Amino acid sequence: MPKIQIETKKMTKYYPTGEGLFAALKDVTLNFTEGEFAGIVGPSGSGKTTLLNVIGSLDTQSEGEVIVLGKEVSKLNAKESAALRSEHIGFIFQTYNLLPVYTVYENVEFPLLLLKMPDAERQKAVMDALDWVGLTDKAKSRPTQLSGGQSQRVAIARAMVKKPQIVLADEPTANLDTENSMNVLETMEKLNKELGTTYIFSTHDAKVIAFIRRKITLVDGRVDSDVIIG
Amino acid sequence: MVFKLAWKNIHGAGLRSIINVFIIALVMIGIIWMQGMYAGWMRMAERQSREWQNGDGRYTFRSYDKYDPFSWDKSNGKIPSELQSLVKNNEAVPILISQGSIYPDGRMISITVKGIPYNQKVLKLPTSELKDSKYNIPALIGMNMAKSSHLKLGDVLTMRWRDIHGAFNAADIEIVKIMDTPEMEVDNGQVWIDLARLQTMKDAEGKATLIVLKNSKDISFTSADWRFQSIDDLLIDLHNIMKVERAQALIMYAILLFLAMIAIFDTQVLAVFKRRKEIGTFAALGMTKREIIRMFTVEGMMYAMLASVASGILGLPLFIYYGTKGWKMPSSYESYGIAGLSDTIIFYYSPQMILSTIIIVILITTVVSWIPTLRIARLKPTDALRGRLS
Repeated sequence: MPKIQIETKKMTKYYPTGEGLFAALKDVTLNFTEGEFAGIVGPSGSGKTTLLNVIGSLDTQSEGEVIVLGKEVSKLNAKESAALRSEHIGFIFQTYNLLPVYTVYENVEFPLLLLKMPDAERQKAVMDALDWVGLTDKAKSRPTQLSGGQSQRVAIARAMVKKPQIVLADEPTANLDTENSMNVLETMEKLNKELGTTYIFSTHDAKVIAFIRRKITLVDGRVDSDVIIG
Repeated sequence: MVFKLAWKNIHGAGLRSIINVFIIALVMIGIIWMQGMYAGWMRMAERQSREWQNGDGRYTFRSYDKYDPFSWDKSNGKIPSELQSLVKNNEAVPILISQGSIYPDGRMISITVKGIPYNQKVLKLPTSELKDSKYNIPALIGMNMAKSSHLKLGDVLTMRWRDIHGAFNAADIEIVKIMDTPEMEVDNGQVWIDLARLQTMKDAEGKATLIVLKNSKDISFTSADWRFQSIDDLLIDLHNIMKVERAQALIMYAILLFLAMIAIFDTQVLAVFKRRKEIGTFAALGMTKREIIRMFTVEGMMYAMLASVASGILGLPLFIYYGTKGWKMPSSYESYGIAGLSDTIIFYYSPQMILSTIIIVILITTVVSWIPTLRIARLKPTDALRGRLS
């Protein structure tokens, strides 16, 4: 039986607004097991990104529990939550968020520098990651010299280079055309299968939805449906 | 790792980094240059004071007060026997000081008459000129004195003085040499004649007011009549002037540093604002806020470190030029009467001065770089990722 990696129990997240507190997430109870390829879908403002941020310990819930790899996110201090992200979670963003002054190689290398991986091992891991996404020839390029699809594949390589247990992808194909979207999705699916990494997407892109094996629909911060596909 | 990342960011920032490094380097060059000037001035003034006036210290007759000319006639005593051999061997030079007046072209000018052995070798004064004379008393004056009293070489004029008993006397002196000295205290209002002659004129045989030493190291003579003044004691006025000058210079350094630090502060504020998304990405990739702050601060510090290298390269020709050719002060400065200002100042850069300047600039730059980054501590990673400020 696959191991549960992420558990949210009656999780609510409020944001302060001018008119009081706004609940971005309400009583969200979900489990994600090892190796899942799940998508959180829903319209804008439904709480998809907030859910990913809390799971990724970039934010904390207001109520309820969020347990990621056995750790209650809201009880982690800054150092512990940074360590959780650094060691176990990879992020992929809609706008790629590549570090502009670094080369492709250096961008991918960055998470391993944080992990203080030895030089030789690090070089091999970076080249392997670039190989997974088919960008070894772009190692010395700067992000500004890449297309959108290439940039997102670099972001995937950066998220995957440390072989994390979980990858959180926030609208990864929103800025890409169909061909690049398919390419990126195929890459992620391949890595999910080969490395057993859990992928959780937030998306409202139909192309992504066609790839995912579990579809969680959020409406106004509540789980509307949670369906296993295929 | 933080250094490596900071270096990459500096390298990647291109022109912005070059401008920052250049500005800090200019400030460093300015500070080192000015400090070099003061150090050079001080060294030169000390050297000139040693060579022309004070040797390596001196014995002063106990009641001598250079600001009270009326006491000078009584402020002299027999050269102590313990110092006679030093005088004989040209290791010390006795000087007798008297109040006097000269009357060039019917004008009366108050002067200080100083007697010094014509054959002395301790001070740089060209006293050999005082030896021979046809019939007048040979006298030596400085260029400033000549200028202010309209005297020229070969002039014969009447000089009046008072002997130690209080009796006035007068005789003609002849200007046999006009010396070019950078030491204003041996020039302005001074007339130098041979010691033996002045002793006779004042009825003060074997007496002196000062005994200037060539080397004070191994001399342990003490006496109730003669007080020893080290070169540091004698240069106290100069040190005080230099203290004031340095304090004024400090204000200049502060202004220069302030301008450079505005550039750094501005860069850091802009960096935190412009790189919000990057900060969010760093956080998402697993950096703590403290590490991110450290990285930004190290970036600022590295500007100063690079500026140290740049100031070495850019400033070297300037430092070498002023360290070898020096800076000729305008001739009008001679009239100020401040030691060292009447000659070319050869700049002096001590390793301690250079090192302390670099360390101070690096420390200040680091602090100034750190302050704007504190904003990062208040920045939520989720807001930063969206390019928002919390």
